[in-house]
Amino acid sequence: MPRLIDLVRIAGRRLVVPLLGYPGAQLTCSSLKQNEFNPVLHCESICRLVDRFSPDAAFFMMDLSVEAGALGLPVRYPLYESPTVEEHPVRSLADLEAFKVLDPLDDALVQARIRAMELMKERLDVPRGGYVIGPFTLAGLLMGASELAMATITDPDLVHGVVGFCTDVCVRYARALAAAGADMIAILEPTATFLSPQAFDTFCGAYIRGLITEVTGNPGMTGAAPAGDVAGGTDATGGRAGAGARTATGTTDAADKADAAGVRNGSESAGIERTTGATGSASRANAPDIAGPRRADAMTPMMILHICGDTSHLVRNMCATGAHGLSLDSPVDFARAAREADPEVVLIGNVDPVGVMVQETPDGVRRAVRALLDMMEPYENFILSTGCDLPYETPFENIDAFMKEGRL
Amino acid sequence: MFDFAEMKAALEHGKAAQVKEFAEKALAEGVGAEEILNEGLIAAMAVVGEKFKKNEVYVPEVLVAARAMYAGLDVLRPLLAKSGVKKAGKLVIGTVKGDLHDIGKNLVKMMFEGAGYEVVDLGTDVSPAKFVDAVRSERPDFLGMSALLTTTMPSMKSTIEALKDAGLRNHVKVLVGGAPVTSKYASEIGADGYAPDASSAVDVAKELVKGK
Repeated sequence: MPRLIDLVRIAGRRLVVPLLGYPGAQLTCSSLKQNEFNPVLHCESICRLVDRFSPDAAFFMMDLSVEAGALGLPVRYPLYESPTVEEHPVRSLADLEAFKVLDPLDDALVQARIRAMELMKERLDVPRGGYVIGPFTLAGLLMGASELAMATITDPDLVHGVVGFCTDVCVRYARALAAAGADMIAILEPTATFLSPQAFDTFCGAYIRGLITEVTGNPGMTGAAPAGDVAGGTDATGGRAGAGARTATGTTDAADKADAAGVRNGSESAGIERTTGATGSASRANAPDIAGPRRADAMTPMMILHICGDTSHLVRNMCATGAHGLSLDSPVDFARAAREADPEVVLIGNVDPVGVMVQETPDGVRRAVRALLDMMEPYENFILSTGCDLPYETPFENIDAFMKEGRL
Repeated sequence: MFDFAEMKAALEHGKAAQVKEFAEKALAEGVGAEEILNEGLIAAMAVVGEKFKKNEVYVPEVLVAARAMYAGLDVLRPLLAKSGVKKAGKLVIGTVKGDLHDIGKNLVKMMFEGAGYEVVDLGTDVSPAKFVDAVRSERPDFLGMSALLTTTMPSMKSTIEALKDAGLRNHVKVLVGGAPVTSKYASEIGADGYAPDASSAVDVAKELVKGK
């Protein structure tokens, strides 16, 4: 199974992967909403970003509403900002039943994302990344973040039930993205930022670990159980048993797709070159062959855990989920995180996406990137990135400055 | 003499029903509503706020403690209103237009209420016109605006402009906060104060009116 740290080692230089997505809509003169609904346009926006900025990997646009929308929650789609879930109706385990009859993969927007990933696979020669919401954050959308937070203290059984159900949804979608060609899948778990380390292990980490195991067929990077209560982890698995039957079916479906994708990937590795197609070639003379090891083992994406905000207190716990990489936001002290993290887990980050990337001058961006690179110089397990997804309006000269300084 | 230690411990642990009972018991023993508010509720919320600042407790613990505080406050409110207890100040707060995120805004609200302020919560997706109307009718000391989305931040600026147009800008101190907001942005748009997190928001507000 390929690991992110192997990719970093093969490259032989710092990899530079800003979380680009939304700014791609500028290049196709489109709104974010159009990209959410139109997979061909979405892929085009991402391919043009790759042509324009030559990042070492390309993620599609970040979106925390796809899975909740597939479950039927009302979602608002503004033209130029990320979609927002408007209602959070679940108050009890009984309320969950209505959601269990749905297969999230049948949803049109979920299918649009999967299709966008298939198209990215055809056109991009850099590793492709997709996003899936984290089970705890999806639970927060179902219940409301404040209600979920309080229930971790007042009604733990409800939280385990909802997060367990959500894990199942995430597994289905992540497997489909992997089958469609995602080399990396970043699990977006922003709501977990407010948990204590112990609560993280019990209500989030254990489920992330389950998700990673289900998607990769491997318990992940570290053999250790989550740092906290092992019984919590056992409960977590037990909590998902109710949804087990559907998971089993899902496994078969995904395995079929996996085989099919494996065959396609096999033919690629036999010599069919991937290009960016219509927008021209994204192949670069200086591009490290980091897509290479992936092709031999096509169905096990590298799993990254992304949590926004200040997660300094959770670094060890995040490592214990088995994630191959941690994408951490700008408030985190990366040198400190590097001292705490498992050296086989890659830290990805963390230039401020707004304070620096949107609001600074190119010189300011260069200074921020240089300071981060200098600070992380002693550490091998590091990919230069932004703390979170870049906003639509990020000035291109700032992205250029980021890439140029990162490649010096 | 009523012992507030147990009541405070109950609040810190988020035991809403117990806090309510303690408040009723204290009243029955003849303790004044204002004393219960200060010694039982505000003092305990201050402890929770301090622990939150030091990462000894996290958001879930603060939320359940706040819920317990409200349970106690509900008992005291009619009496407090009757006795006309002076509040520390008044805050009008809301999440700006286009933004539906409320957890940060709610934390700030709780911290202010826990510090003895009167808070008028306008909810989420609040337009500049609605903020202006509330400042006009409520006459608060502070106006707090929260945003989680980068794209909704400009609405903070529009609101400050709208306050100027309405001739109300000098009547209220404007505080801003939220994940994408920086102190640089706050000063650029002409806000009076910026707080990086909920626990420091009350300190920022107190600092702004110091010596006033």
